[in-house]
Amino acid sequence: MPPITQNGSPKAQVEDYISKNKVMMFSKTTCPFCKKIKDLFKNLNVEFQVLELDQISNGADLQNALLEVSGQKTVPNIYINSKHLGGCDDTLKAQAENRLLPMINDDGENYDYDLIIIGGGSGGLAASKEAASLGRKVAVFDFVQPSPTGTTWGLGGTCVNVGCIPKKLMHQAALLGHGLEDARHFGWEIPENVKHSWDKMKNAIQDHIGSLNWGYRVQLREKKVDYHNAYAQFVDKHTIKAVNKKGKEITKTARHFILAMGERPRYPDIPGAKEFGITSDDLFSLPYCPGKTLMVGASYVSLECGGFLKAIGMDVTVMVRSILLRGFDQQMADKIGDYMGLHGIDFVRPCVPTKIEKLQDRLDGKPGLYKVYGKYNDGTEYSDEFNTVIFAIGRDPCTQNIGLDKVGVQMSKNGFVISNDADQTNVSNIYAIGDILEGKPELTPVAIHSGRLLARRLYENGTLLTDYINVCTTVFTPLEYGCCGYSEEDAIQKFGEDKIEVYHSNFWPLEWTVAKRENDACYAKLICLIPEKEKVIGFHVVGPNAGEITQGFGTAIKLGATKTDFDNTIGIHPTCAEVTMIAVQNSERPSYKTLARL
Amino acid sequence: MVVEVNVEGLEEYKKIIQEHKGKVIFAQFSGSTDSEGKNWCPDCVAADPVIKKCLSSAPADAVFIHCGVGDRTFWKDQSNGFRTDPDLKLKSVPTLMVVGKPQRLQEEQCANEELVKMMFTDED
Repeated sequence: MPPITQNGSPKAQVEDYISKNKVMMFSKTTCPFCKKIKDLFKNLNVEFQVLELDQISNGADLQNALLEVSGQKTVPNIYINSKHLGGCDDTLKAQAENRLLPMINDDGENYDYDLIIIGGGSGGLAASKEAASLGRKVAVFDFVQPSPTGTTWGLGGTCVNVGCIPKKLMHQAALLGHGLEDARHFGWEIPENVKHSWDKMKNAIQDHIGSLNWGYRVQLREKKVDYHNAYAQFVDKHTIKAVNKKGKEITKTARHFILAMGERPRYPDIPGAKEFGITSDDLFSLPYCPGKTLMVGASYVSLECGGFLKAIGMDVTVMVRSILLRGFDQQMADKIGDYMGLHGIDFVRPCVPTKIEKLQDRLDGKPGLYKVYGKYNDGTEYSDEFNTVIFAIGRDPCTQNIGLDKVGVQMSKNGFVISNDADQTNVSNIYAIGDILEGKPELTPVAIHSGRLLARRLYENGTLLTDYINVCTTVFTPLEYGCCGYSEEDAIQKFGEDKIEVYHSNFWPLEWTVAKRENDACYAKLICLIPEKEKVIGFHVVGPNAGEITQGFGTAIKLGATKTDFDNTIGIHPTCAEVTMIAVQNSERPSYKTLARL
Repeated sequence: MVVEVNVEGLEEYKKIIQEHKGKVIFAQFSGSTDSEGKNWCPDCVAADPVIKKCLSSAPADAVFIHCGVGDRTFWKDQSNGFRTDPDLKLKSVPTLMVVGKPQRLQEEQCANEELVKMMFTDED
């Protein structure tokens, strides 16, 4: 209860409560409608003041005064920013129409911006453009701290600069190499000694990225979003200070903030890691061909990079502590690992690195030489020499050193931001999207989608929440992997083994027959929930264009497709999507294993 | 001061960028003005004063090339050299670009003072 004087007339007392509290609620402890609104405010992380009229001696007088002041005698009686909102129904209606938070956040202050977004990646850019097109004054602060070896990049975040885009393009370079091998079977006469130029590939990809960086900056200007290439830190919940490359500091205020800083690669705490190792932040713009490479880690980043490096001619070793692709379906992960092993990638497992020593410096256009020491699980020592050591052991959210502690934004112990279903943090005017969110998928399209929907909820009475369930994804390993929904392990854990049916089979793509490629590498699996008419809750495929295949099935799964729906779907002949379908249509437990009829 | 050069046609353009190799070169491609001083491309006419005004913010040692792409009939021919040259692949006039870099502005963007200024002052 606020320290409010009991002097003065009841009317003066009521007015005092209203003027001194941003959200003021006159209530009675016994009133169920009051409880409803208290719960609503708590859910929205809104700070509010309550005066329980049945707990004070002059409650009846105050209630009469309220009637005089507001024209309403019943409780709850709610005031926001000294304006009368009404009772329970009025408040619920305001919330349903998405007016409630804007009313609370409209504090009458004159801020520099309606919205400041920290981080100019996929999510931040999407949110900024959406908010600006809804007429709001928006600024984006983006600043790339150089990697330990000095790599930096432009606007657009991880995906565009050091993630999805260069990764997929280098994967394409790898596929073209495979295609060359196949081509001979199809009659193309290609010299035995075909060479690949790292520089040519890297420069072409970097040029494309450069045009994307420029395009984003043009878009922001055209939409009148202010872009600041400066490192922002919170001063208080409405104020940031930001420092640019030249050390110039500016201070800006905003009503709302969106945190969208993303993640950066993690280095292991071993001697030589930061001095001699690199990460995916450096690889895609590496000024020399990496040569013999050690990938440390079994993340999708590690397997993807190892995969394309091998295919363009590098000698590649992958050092794995325990399992491949943690979090993904483990049977599929092993299929990917087996295929990579068969295609000449050396797996060292279970083993962790312990030390890196430099044998030769990196020179102009040439990689260095490093000796890597490691230890297997059983204590056996490992050592080998590599030109390039790439760490891909995980990524950490960029939530430290930006003053989140000053404003009290709640984070998990690993530094991920905790948010509610509406992407709001515990600080009511600060929101968060993308990879920094605790327990949400770390995927570009997810960040874009939630950025857009969040801007609409803030500025356009939008009510749609991001649906984080059944998001399709793909892994661009040499044998591509696409999936949607539960892994088999997670499905069993969630629903119980007896509630799950799995339909699965190998398949042999038509294109692979003439090319004499493996007939047992590609595989599809459908995980169905028996009590719900065998609703499909997990879809997994490894094979060519797995991502392309998976995307459309994602819609079916979102709509609740069952095994029968899959059975009744006619394929497109002759495609990998079709054989994927056939593989899961005709298979049954246990392990019906056959080649798809072609 | 930025060096300003006017050229006509692809051949002259290629020659002049060769001459200034190693420098920061901005190139503006516009419809060519006819003998009566008329230009068939209204967007080009609109862009000219904006670009001229912003040139003062470009690096002092930069070169600015204004290149005429010919008359309307020549430009509309989809097989003309400006459209097919792998380094240019022009899609529209006016186009303002940093030679050898991905930065480009097209059509009405070339008359947007903020965008033109951003191109001339870009450090990346």
